Amino acid sequence: MHMNSFKWFVFAAAFVLCFLSCKQHHDEYHGVMDKIEAEGKQYHGVSVSSEDYLQGIEMIEITEGDHTFLIPERKSHIKSFKCTECHTKPLKELQKGLYKKAHWDIELDHANSNTMNCITCHDANNMDALRSLTGNNIDFNRSYNLCNQCHTKQFEDWKGGAHGKRIGGWAPPRAAMTCVNCHNPHKPHFESRWPARYNTQKVKERE
Amino acid sequence: MSSKSKKWFSLNLGKKDKHSENGCGCGKTSGGCGSHDLTIGEETKKDGFDQVFDVKMSRRTAFKQLTASLAIGAGAISTSCSMISGDETKEQAQIDWEEQFKGNYKLMTDEEKKATVDRLVRSYQLRTGKTLNMSSKNAEPDVLFGYAFNISKCQGYMDCVTACVEENNQDRNSQMQYIRIHEMKDGKGFNFNEADDNYYHEVPAEGHFYMGTQCFHCDNPPCVEVCPVQATWREDDGLVVVDYDWCVGCRYCMAACPYDGRRFNWSKPEVPEAEVNKNQHYLGNRMRKKGVMEKCTFCVQRSRAGKNPACVEACPTGARIFGNLLDPNSTIRWVLENKKVFRLKEDLGTEPKFWYFMD
Ligand code: SF4
Ligand code: SF4
Repeated sequence: MHMNSFKWFVFAAAFVLCFLSCKQHHDEYHGVMDKIEAEGKQYHGVSVSSEDYLQGIEMIEITEGDHTFLIPERKSHIKSFKCTECHTKPLKELQKGLYKKAHWDIELDHANSNTMNCITCHDANNMDALRSLTGNNIDFNRSYNLCNQCHTKQFEDWKGGAHGKRIGGWAPPRAAMTCVNCHNPHKPHFESRWPARYNTQKVKERE
Repeated sequence: MSSKSKKWFSLNLGKKDKHSENGCGCGKTSGGCGSHDLTIGEETKKDGFDQVFDVKMSRRTAFKQLTASLAIGAGAISTSCSMISGDETKEQAQIDWEEQFKGNYKLMTDEEKKATVDRLVRSYQLRTGKTLNMSSKNAEPDVLFGYAFNISKCQGYMDCVTACVEENNQDRNSQMQYIRIHEMKDGKGFNFNEADDNYYHEVPAEGHFYMGTQCFHCDNPPCVEVCPVQATWREDDGLVVVDYDWCVGCRYCMAACPYDGRRFNWSKPEVPEAEVNKNQHYLGNRMRKKGVMEKCTFCVQRSRAGKNPACVEACPTGARIFGNLLDPNSTIRWVLENKKVFRLKEDLGTEPKFWYFMD
């Protein structure tokens, strides 16, 4: 009987010890994903902010689906806005060749000519606004609504934050570049170029 | 305090036995031990160390005196060039002394952290006449940093590498770089053995894709486990950092890292004065010395201030995404939850906080 209770005691002690030491030496989670999910449930926000880093950039707030964030204001950066200051006559008339040519610097390299020309995006009757495929007005500040008519996947990723570039820092408020801040809408692909640097030391080491 | 009741070990520096008044340590009062027939005056001539330590005094005053004598010694040299620098040299010596005997940053209180940072800043001022900004900002609660890399977007421009070198004051001579961009052949998978991480042609090259690696800030970092002096550890916001003043340069961590994340200073790191980034953090981009380990810190000097690391900011393609994993509304969380993400060598259980994904 005496022996038996002793055995039990050892058993219980070992159990408790094991439990304690397991707690001590291992994380309570099986992986970092579990941890993120569990600890993220009690997220209270952070004290740092990106606001200081956004100073001096004019931003507008947009809400698309579940996402609300800031994008740079566009119109004040278009050199010759408002367009109607020159475009006083309908496009048809301007294109007759009676007037001086304009927009020399613009070369359209976006899809093929079957799919796109100027008035796929621009409104021939109101040059100060953009035009959706179905003829609705789109403000220059929200030009992403034009792009997302075709580029739906990129639009989803952009809204979520997987496509595009953040402005300021990681801390809230979230601010992101909009499509035209990185892509020239008339020539949206990225050019090939030389890398920013070359590591001569490494080449030497390898020889 | 008799030497018998002592419970600790101490060096016998300059301590003579009580009976050494007799002139030698042999214990004999009369000639015969061999040292008695040395030249006259030998027994009274003490060297600098003995002069300081042969006097009864507390450890603290001993340190002070020693520092002062060091300062005077150093001062004597520099006063031959300038008359007013005496005080500054003394101060520099005092700083050097305190820096020499400070503890591990990991174990410091906030005051001690602040004090060492202040000393380092002052020391830089004294040495160069220029000032810099050094932070000892701790990890913030509710923050766990994570990173995502879009393989489909990276074009191999290496703007990130340049930004990193400049931001983090990396040695220019050895061309140390925390980030490597690997150029890989399409259709061969992630073949690091055949990848070229030192290409120099127009990019993106036909038939290739690009993949960046750096320290992944593992949540279960093997590099930390092996450090014999605990000079490297995981901070509460998930950053794996190194105390450059505590590191003994054994490079165990470098061997333990499965991702080639660590870089060693084989030579004295040099950055031209004009290019030194003066916005620093103790655990981040402050100047390192020869023989210590360093690595990517997710730009702790920037990230703890709410900014993105320099590589994220420099990337022209938006391939790099950084953020707070604990914020359910963060973009990094959206990427993890909505894209098909993976990590390198996931089966090792190192839990890197650096995910790759494709469009
Ligand atoms: S990537 Fe390497 S150096 Fe960085 S935390 Fe993981 S094991 Fe350590
Ligand atoms: S090199 Fe430094 S940080 Fe790495 S294991 Fe050795 S002492 Fe620790």
